[in-house]
Amino acid sequence: MLLKAFAEIPARKRIGIIAVILGIISIFAGNPNDNVNTKVNLKELSLISPDQISEIGVSELADWIIKGKFDYRLIDLRNEEDFVKYRIPSSENIQVTSLLKSDLSRNNKILLYSDNDITSSQGWFLLKSNNYKSVNIIKGGIDSWKNEVLFPKCTCGENPTIEEQHKHNKLAEISKFFGGELQTYIAADNTEKVKMPELKAPATITLKKTTGKKKREGC
Amino acid sequence: MTAPLFKFGYFNDEVSLIVAFVIGIFFGLVLEKGGFGSARMLAAQFYFTDMRVFKVMFTAIVTAMIGLFYFSWVGVLDLSLVYFGETFLLPQLLGGLILGVGFVIGGYCPGTSAVAISTGRIDAIFYALGGMFGIFVFGEMFPYITDFFYSTAMGKINLPELLDINYGLIMLVVILMAIGGFTAAEWAEKLMANKQSKARG
Repeated sequence: MLLKAFAEIPARKRIGIIAVILGIISIFAGNPNDNVNTKVNLKELSLISPDQISEIGVSELADWIIKGKFDYRLIDLRNEEDFVKYRIPSSENIQVTSLLKSDLSRNNKILLYSDNDITSSQGWFLLKSNNYKSVNIIKGGIDSWKNEVLFPKCTCGENPTIEEQHKHNKLAEISKFFGGELQTYIAADNTEKVKMPELKAPATITLKKTTGKKKREGC
Repeated sequence: MTAPLFKFGYFNDEVSLIVAFVIGIFFGLVLEKGGFGSARMLAAQFYFTDMRVFKVMFTAIVTAMIGLFYFSWVGVLDLSLVYFGETFLLPQLLGGLILGVGFVIGGYCPGTSAVAISTGRIDAIFYALGGMFGIFVFGEMFPYITDFFYSTAMGKINLPELLDINYGLIMLVVILMAIGGFTAAEWAEKLMANKQSKARG
């Protein structure tokens, strides 16, 4: 009866009525952006083995930064205070709680680091369960960066071989690039005198971002 | 499969160009069929003589709005990934004003001028050339207007967030606005038609 009456109304008015009804329903439908509750594919996640979680070493990251390879987004998950004090060049500060609200795209190559691997793993899980394709963890986080890139220890003895000398020079150059210094043993004293690392603000390297050819969208 | 397909990495940059090309063809076709390729038809909107373009446009807005909302609601679309630009209140007000003046004088907006060029309209070719010259002038002027260009920045914000009200309520208001607008447009069309027939005697 009602349907018959509805069918008799002119088509344009019918469309109008349907639009209004959909509008009224939408008031009770909630916020479409609210994606706090997400469906996690438990099977898929549980089947991921540790070697599939791609970890990236700090020396590899340092290499990328030096070579100007910026096809990724480096995310610092620590708090703002620590981030302001020192950060890996080219990183941006997003905390785990706001990770999903950030402007990270699902097709971005994302590298996560923190001062502990648990926070990074937490971030990895959050992003991965929200269908982010390429999520990677910087192994050892900021501590590894400090110990292996900024203030690496030279393990070569008094008479280093050419190979050791080469490695030594490379380490020294890398740490210098990032404003750090190679830590050497002073053999004369026969005691280990390691200069206490002092973290400075990152050397002002202006990094040209080439992350995913940012397109201007819209008309 | 969840949309937007490109942002979820279902296809790469190269394929996205092909997708854009195909969608562009259909978009142009629909614009031309809707009367958007004619400067007279577009300018008629401002004189209330034929409101077809207004009706097509507003219908498209409402359809897209309802579609996006419900697709997102049932979970086949992540609305947070659908692009919209940042708001710079004053520069955009001024820009909109300039665009509107250009629109009513020239009879096209940038997109519709491209549609009109494809049907061989000479006025549209000149319109587009003028647009390109305008872009050049703007580029040259940019160092002097940078401050204004970035002023009154509000970031990425939409009405429900700004007013802190329900998404659905905004939708209902826009739908009612559209229906009201269509009714008013048809009333204005009749009024103008009467006026014109009287003027002709």
